[in-house]
Amino acid sequence: MTRNEFLTKLADELKKNNITDADEIISEYEQHFAFKMADGFSEEEIAARLGNPVELASQFESHVENIKSGGKKVTTVLGLVFIDIFAGAFFVLLFAWEIIMAAFAVCNAVAAVCLSIGSSPWSLIPPMPYVPAIVFALSLTALFVLTTVGCIYFAAFIRQLMRSYGRFHKNTIAAASGNAVLPSLGIYPRLPAKTNRRIRTVAMISLILFTTCFVLGMILSMILSGSLEFWHEWGWFGYNAVK
Amino acid sequence: MNIQYKKGVLELLVLSLLKKQDWYGYEISEYLSRHIDIADGTVYPLLRKLKSEGLVTTYMQEESGGPPRKYYSITNLGRETYEKERAEYLNFAQRVAEILEGDNNDQK
Repeated sequence: MTRNEFLTKLADELKKNNITDADEIISEYEQHFAFKMADGFSEEEIAARLGNPVELASQFESHVENIKSGGKKVTTVLGLVFIDIFAGAFFVLLFAWEIIMAAFAVCNAVAAVCLSIGSSPWSLIPPMPYVPAIVFALSLTALFVLTTVGCIYFAAFIRQLMRSYGRFHKNTIAAASGNAVLPSLGIYPRLPAKTNRRIRTVAMISLILFTTCFVLGMILSMILSGSLEFWHEWGWFGYNAVK
Repeated sequence: MNIQYKKGVLELLVLSLLKKQDWYGYEISEYLSRHIDIADGTVYPLLRKLKSEGLVTTYMQEESGGPPRKYYSITNLGRETYEKERAEYLNFAQRVAEILEGDNNDQK
């Protein structure tokens, strides 16, 4: 008898005997086959050693507990549905934040490009001399890198959070129906140590670069315009340029 | 040896094995078939019976590079039952041995 013949026969017999959690039983025998085959036994040998599936199936007694816990399971599933509604809303918020962060990152990149090539689409970029513009462009590029890294990490965080929630969901149902539960998952993404180090380095460098260039740009602008409030001089934010 | 003899004590053997540490189904089956001549598949109905009686519990544990394994672990009730039945069985087996060995001597 091959592995499939044995398992099919066993499943049929279990069904005939009204065994409720037949899937769990079958998976035990599947594992038995997997282990034995890894040890180099043939499917026929393993099936022969396991015994007659008809006889084995008759040794399983139908579960009385499962019928008893039926009511409990319904309550658990109802409770889970309510939790799901709140968790769903929460995940929508997380996704929204991810989208906002991504949009912010893209804006930074576009602004940096505009500053460095000296174009100002729809006059959105305030006028300034080229030197502070290139310094600000550098600062915005660093901010773009920083927010992009943030986006990537946050996406990993959402993914892990969803997996963790999924595991909780599955385990709660499994526990209510008397099946074995899997260990729960942490909510923080477990990235390889190397990736973690890289993310930290890139974030640190871009943060420092952003701050330095931003402050430098401000100082340069003040010097070039000859005024602390250089935005008055250059007519930003609707101020009339002081000529 | 008659299969009915063995089945009665298999439960006791499984509990004695689980008293030391948690095992997964395949390990238990391998252990029993190494020591006692039974069909490999017999252990799974037995484990399920022990579980439904509350003498053992199960939990899943993820192994690296494989599907999660179902581990069996003895409960407090399982421990108590084991100690009680162990004493009963040893006492019973001793009496049986006494009688049977005595019979053997008579024939000589």
